[in-house]
Formats: sequence, C-alpha cells, structure tokens
Amino acid sequence: MTTVSTDPGRDEPHASPDGASSDRLRASRRQLFKLGAAAAAASVVAPRRAGAQSARPRGRPPIMGPIDPPISGSAIASWQNPSVRLARRIGLGLTEAEAARARKMGYRGYLEYQLDHTSIDDSAVEAYVAQNHPMVNQDSASLQSADINVVTQQLQAAFTYRAAFSNRQLHARMVEFWNDHFSIYMRKVGYLKVADDRDVIRKHALGKFPDLLKASAHSPAMLVYLDQQTSRRGAPNQNYAREIMELHTLGVDGGYTQQDVAELSRVLTGWTITGRGAFNYDPNLHDFGAKTVLGVQIPASTQSATNTGLAEGERMLDVLVAHPSTAKFISKKMLKWLLRYDPSEAQIAGVAAVYTRTGGDIKEMIRAILEPSALMASPAKFKRPFHFLVSAIRATNARVTNVTNYATRQLGVVGQPLFSWETPDGYPDTVEYWAGNILPRWNFGTTIATAASGELVVDVDAYVQAGTAEGVTAAIGRAMFGGEMPASLRDALVAYLRPAPTNQTRVREALALAIASSQFQLY
Amino acid sequence: MTDHTDCGCTEYNELSRRQFINDITGAALMATVLPEWMPKVVLAESHASDRDVVVSIFQRGGADGLSIVVPFGDPNYYTGRPTIAIPQPDSGKAYRATNLDGFFGLSEPMLPLLEAYRAKHLLLAHGVGLGYVSRSHFDAQRYMEVGKPNDPSISTGWLGRHLASTTPVRSNAPLRALGLSVGLPKTLVGAPKTLPIPDPANFSIAGSATTRTQRTQLLRDDYAVATEPIRSAALDSINTIALLNMIDFANYRPANGATYPNSSFGRALKSTAALIKADVGVEAIQVDVGGWDTHNQQNPVTPAGSMYRTMLDFSSALGAFYMDVIGGAPSYPVTLLSISEFGRNVRENGSQGTDHGRGTVAFVMGKAIAGGRVLTRNFPVLARENLELGQDLPVTIDHRDLVAEIVKSRLGNPNLSLVFPDYVPTFRGVML
Repeated sequence: MTTVSTDPGRDEPHASPDGASSDRLRASRRQLFKLGAAAAAASVVAPRRAGAQSARPRGRPPIMGPIDPPISGSAIASWQNPSVRLARRIGLGLTEAEAARARKMGYRGYLEYQLDHTSIDDSAVEAYVAQNHPMVNQDSASLQSADINVVTQQLQAAFTYRAAFSNRQLHARMVEFWNDHFSIYMRKVGYLKVADDRDVIRKHALGKFPDLLKASAHSPAMLVYLDQQTSRRGAPNQNYAREIMELHTLGVDGGYTQQDVAELSRVLTGWTITGRGAFNYDPNLHDFGAKTVLGVQIPASTQSATNTGLAEGERMLDVLVAHPSTAKFISKKMLKWLLRYDPSEAQIAGVAAVYTRTGGDIKEMIRAILEPSALMASPAKFKRPFHFLVSAIRATNARVTNVTNYATRQLGVVGQPLFSWETPDGYPDTVEYWAGNILPRWNFGTTIATAASGELVVDVDAYVQAGTAEGVTAAIGRAMFGGEMPASLRDALVAYLRPAPTNQTRVREALALAIASSQFQLY
Repeated sequence: MTDHTDCGCTEYNELSRRQFINDITGAALMATVLPEWMPKVVLAESHASDRDVVVSIFQRGGADGLSIVVPFGDPNYYTGRPTIAIPQPDSGKAYRATNLDGFFGLSEPMLPLLEAYRAKHLLLAHGVGLGYVSRSHFDAQRYMEVGKPNDPSISTGWLGRHLASTTPVRSNAPLRALGLSVGLPKTLVGAPKTLPIPDPANFSIAGSATTRTQRTQLLRDDYAVATEPIRSAALDSINTIALLNMIDFANYRPANGATYPNSSFGRALKSTAALIKADVGVEAIQVDVGGWDTHNQQNPVTPAGSMYRTMLDFSSALGAFYMDVIGGAPSYPVTLLSISEFGRNVRENGSQGTDHGRGTVAFVMGKAIAGGRVLTRNFPVLARENLELGQDLPVTIDHRDLVAEIVKSRLGNPNLSLVFPDYVPTFRGVML
C-alpha cells in the first residue's frame, strides 16, 4: 500500500552550493522540476484557466503550470464552433461529413446521436470486417489452432478499420480507452484477446462500468495475462488481485494495502480457464479459509454442492465497483480521456457523484464530463499515434488496399502497435511521452498521401479539380480540419501550392504537410 | 566550448542564451527564451570533455535480483524456492551458479558479464531499490525515474534535470540525449535537446528529394509557433536529421569481436555504441528492457525458461557492449547503469513464479568503477523474520546513492540537490 506522506517540512530546499538567494533557487528548482529547460524558456504557454486543477499540495512551495502545459491560446484559436469542437474531441478524427453532421445537429444533438450508438448504422463496416477479418467473429475454441500471427494481424486490422470507418465514433473512442484501461499484452495470451475485445471491451464500452469490470474479471484473456489461472490455495498468485485494484477499480491511492492484495488473491483462487479458452471456476483450487479484504470479512467455509466459493469473488467484485475510490478513479480517468489532462477536484467529484448515483453508467458520466462550457474551456489534447494514424485515414478518406497487415506495420512505424504494451497499465496518454517522436508521423503523412506503401490509397481528384492554391487549401481545410484550419497553416499551404496547384504530386505533398502540421496533432 | 573554472552566473547564462538563440528562427522568439530562472549552478573544475557518456537502462517489470546474483550461501534461498532456485556452484548440478565471492554467485545466463566483472569494470549491487515502499510497477518506476518518491509535483526525470543543469559537452549539439523507444521515458523528461528515437538508423524526412528542403522549412515554421513540448520535439528532430544521417548504423562493426544478440535490446545497445563512437555530442542514452515481471513459470534455471532467456539476452547485449565500447582498446568514456523498479518475493508463489518485492540488483559498468564485487549493506539472512512483510528482501541501498555518485564523479555535476531533490545521498563507493 502506498501511503501519502504529509510532511511538508521534508521539502524545504537545501542550501544552494554557492549561497544564492533561496528564493531564486526555489523558483529555479521549481521550474526545473516542472517543465525543464526548453519548455519553461519558450513561454508560449497560455495562462492557467479558472477551474484547472492546481497540483499544489498544501504547505509546499507553489509550482508553476500543470503537469502538461495546456495546449490552448493561439494553437486552437481557430476552433470556434462548439459542435465541431465536440466532434473533433469525441471521435478519432474529423471528416467533412462528420463536421457537417455535428454542425447540423448542434452540440447536444450530436452528443446524444453518438451516445445512442446502437442506432447508428454500421452495417457496411461490419460487413467489411466479417469478410476481411473473419477471425474476430470466431469464438476462442475455434481460434485455438489458428496461426497466432494471423489472429493478431486480423484483430489489429479490424480494430483499426472500425476506428477509421465506423460511424460510431464515440464508441470507438471509448473502446480505445477501455482497451488501455484493461490492457492486455496479446503476445502473452494469444487468441484469447479476440473474445476479450468483442465480449468485454466492445460490448460494454458505452454500458455500465460494473458490467464491464465483471466481464473483464471473467475474461480468459485477462486471467491468463495476469497469471490468475494458475493461482491456487496455499500459494496464490497476487498479480491479478493487485492490478484489479490498482489499475482497474480503486486506483493506486484508493486505500488498499499489501495485505488486501494478498487476501484478495486468496479470494480469487479457483478463478481459472478451461483448455478450450473459456472461463472456469475450480473449487478444488479455492482457499476456503477466512479472509478480510478492504474490511469485508469472508468467513471460513467448507466446500459443498451449494458452496463452491465462487460467490466470494463475485461479492468482492461488487465491493470493488461500489467503492468510492472506484467512482473517483474511473471518473478521473474518463475526464482525462475526454476533457482535459488536468481535471479539477471539483470536476472529478462531480462525475464521481454521477457514477455513484447511476451505478457506473458510462453514458451518464460522459454527459456530465462533456458539458459544453467545460469542453469549450478546455485546452486541446495531443493525439496518440494510433489516434493520429486513424485520423489521417479519416481525413483523407483513404482506401485500404492491403487488408491484412497494413495496420500492424504502420502502427509500428508511428509508435503504437495495438495490444503490444507489455504492462497492464496500458499505453500512456500524456503529451510529454508522445510528443518527441514526431518524425514518423510526418513520414506517415507522406506515406498515406502518396500511397507510397501501397496499403492505403488516397484519391486526390477532388482536390486537384479545385484548380487554385486557395481552392485546394480550402478543400483540405474542410476535409481535415472541420473547416477551421488556422490562418498560418492556410497561408503556408497556399504558398506551397501556388507554383503548381493542379499538379497531382504537389497536391499530395500539400496533403502530407497538412497531416504533418502541428495543428493536425491536436484534438 | 569555453572553459569555466570559476564560473559566475552571468557567464553561464550568457552561454546558455547563445545556445538557445543558435537554433531559433525569428527574432520574435528571442525575447521569450532568455532563461532568467536558470539555476545558479556550480560548474565543476573538470572540463566538460571529461564527462562520461551515461547509458541508463531500465529493466521494466521488477527484476528478480535473487535469480541474477544468487545468494547461494543462504539455505533460506533454497527452502523458499523449491522449483526456481539456481543450484549452488559446488552442487555438481547442471545450470549451477558461478561463484563470485563465496556467498553470491552469477546465474548461468548472466555469465556473459563475467568478463567485465573479473576485469573489475562491473559492480553488482544487491538490496537496491526505492527508499519508499511501493509494489506498484507504475508508481515505483515513476518514483525511480523522477528521482523522488511520492511527490506528484515533480514531473521531470533525474537525468532530464541533470542535463538541464549542465552545459552541453558540445555547445552546438543538436541532440544531447535520446531514449531508444517510441515515447520519451520519464527519466529524460525535462532534458533539453532530447528526443525519443526508436530507430536512429532511419531518421530523415521522407518524400521527394527535390521538395524536401521546402517541405522541411514549412514544417519548421509551422512548429516554431507551436506550444511546448511539441515545438522543441519538431525543431530538435529537424536539427538532428543531418547528425544521425552521418552515422552509418547499418554497417557499424563492433570492435574486439563483440557480437550483439539480434534482439530489440541487442540492437538498441549496438546503436548506442555507434552513437557513442561517432562522438557527436550525445551525452546520455536511455534504453528500456522488458520481460522481468515473472509472476508465473519464471524458470531462471534452464535454457528453455522464460527468465533464463530474458537474462541471457540482457547479459549478452551488455557483455557485447562492454567488449565493444569499454573493455577493449580504444576504450570510450562511458558509465552504464541498470536498475529495476523493485525485486521480487524471496519465496516463490503457487505458479512457479514470484510476486512484487523490494530490493533487487543494480549494475554499474565502466572503466572507472570499483567493480569486481557484490556491493551490499546489511544484506540479511533470508529468514522470514528479516524480510519486509515476511516476504521481501529489504532495500538497504537507496538507488539514488549509486546514481548520485555517478552523476557527481563521472558526469561532472555537483548539483545533486537538483538531480535528487530533498535527498542527501550517501556515496557507497561505486567509483575507484
């Protein structure tokens, strides 16, 4: 258990080596710890917004700026329309059609439209997936003997295709979110991840958190990934017991102890899988002794026809999803995903109250998070590589011509191959982690715009027909930026196109530059 | 680069200003970059060129130190690990440990490091870890990388702060440090002129050569007005392209017959060697190596075992690096260190693996290291009553003690309170 130290006295700065004034040293040390040299020096950081959380514990020297500097001010000055802003935020990349739909429906209308995801027709996408990636619709037993490389490629390709072409964009965003929240390293679990993607993540992404958590806890992929399936009485395995609390429900500061981890691991003994990849509970592995987890006492019992011990674990899942720390932890993560990197304590508490009131209704929480004034007041976020790649496909309306492994290869190039994060905390979502690896994105822009890989093909006829540098640029603005391309980028692209605005190659290069632009990395 | 013997603050700030101005386009930006806040640092008397390149390795997942440097002299190790203990050196059994000092031994897959150890260029430290209890991968890694446990106000890494508080070895170096990964490791957050570069051999702007300059300029102008850290990422990348393109990674030939394993970690260390030998101003390289989270079927003993293979790849790559860069002639001024966020339980679990523990092994390698021994401090008898929570090897050496000595003695940075805030390190004799 990690306990939070409340000892402000420990943090007094040491005397500086050369006796500089302690104020100056304190300020400089503060800067050094927060943002580093370049970040602090280039002060294009917008002023802190009201309501943004100060990460400033009481009694400690003030710190400057949030953990990630807010991407606001001039960077997103062109983002005027609230509905377009919503569409840009809740999907995996604007298209001309989606921006138009959002404008027409208005903010609340578009949000409700995306929340009601089962009413959105996605038959074309599913038909494509069924035809080209049929393994994702197969059950575990029939996938057991399949070539794991093919299974992995199909799942990666289907995941990417659905994200890029589905009309259920908010659902796709939440699938991405929960896929990281309940992250599983596919190389360890193989074909089992297919059922997990379908029956745990996709099925419950816009449902109720308790259902999602319980589905995950019964998922063979999760049990194998975190070594639960070999855990037995006498020497239980603590991996899943720890991570279900630390990462899936309470959060690392949620109030559990190492003792709770050990005791929960005893509760979960017996949770395992069959040889055919299905969940199975084996009472012969279960520890029937008395246990206490998070203050909940489970009395000792004996195995019988009516007492298998399974109910102990099911009961603990109920305890975990009802825990106030879970309400806060899930709310905070969802706020960071959908709204801003630095939600305030008030915002977290507000969404946690919705969680508690609705029993973890994900849609209700999203409504609370994406309250219009909150979104309009929020800074931009930085696309992670998967999001960037998908948004480039969407923005250019690219055609997939190599269905099998374009996703595997291209995601590897931009730095976020799916289901490949080794540890259960999933891919990070911070600017500081991803921003540095920008070059592969620029090159992906070239790859997709010029069809260099032969895997994704973009048709530029409509752009070429615009006829002038201004016309082509405006078309790019509508297709890729919801009609809100910033003026500086527009001027640069116009200047680039002016020598040959109807030249295919030049137009493709302009598209690539738009994809590579700093603006396109934001959402 | 100007010599600084008795450096007053003004002189240092001037140098820093010049450096910032060098790579900024547009006078409008100059006004925003004067680093008034720049800490008043004391420059060591040694010249910057006396500083080692630091190769910082993070073994992600919680590496089981007891399988790496085996306490074969303690019977508790064997009673606690009926299926995964490594046999004693004199047991006559296959895959037995190799005796190091009469109590500790090296497991067989770690033997590629024996040469460096015997040459006294490799220090093994045991019972190393965080001076704060955490068995969470996520938290423990973060605490180690930022250099202080449990302080959410600190978001920069220890190595980032070290680089930010020292003058560059090459004043115009476009790249001072890199992480060989797709994202910037926390250790390097805050470092100027630093990028995550997963593939340094392929670092250039794609597309037509005819338009490359114009396209690059467009992006440079576009990103020059972006917010940080996006802005620096882009500009530093552009400035680094020519540098990396000068280095022939594809045809790099390791010296002294060293052979790197053809694994992700092996290739990373090989690229590291090429970068160091190219001597282009890169001062720090961070490499991650995973696969250490051995909850299940750990098998560190036999060649088919998963931890055996992890250790073999790890030590082969490090052994090759030693032969290639440090141990032979010419020898390059490098200090390499490797740590993991925690170790693992002394006793195995029900799945022939181990769960999260506390103290583990740290590695320090270099010509100036006081190596050839296993450094410990009150390493306990591994009986239950001596273990943390009755299960874990305690941390008796704070990792910062080891790293701080390296930072001061080999990286020429006396500003330890910046690198490791709110901590006064005790040097443990890592250096000669």
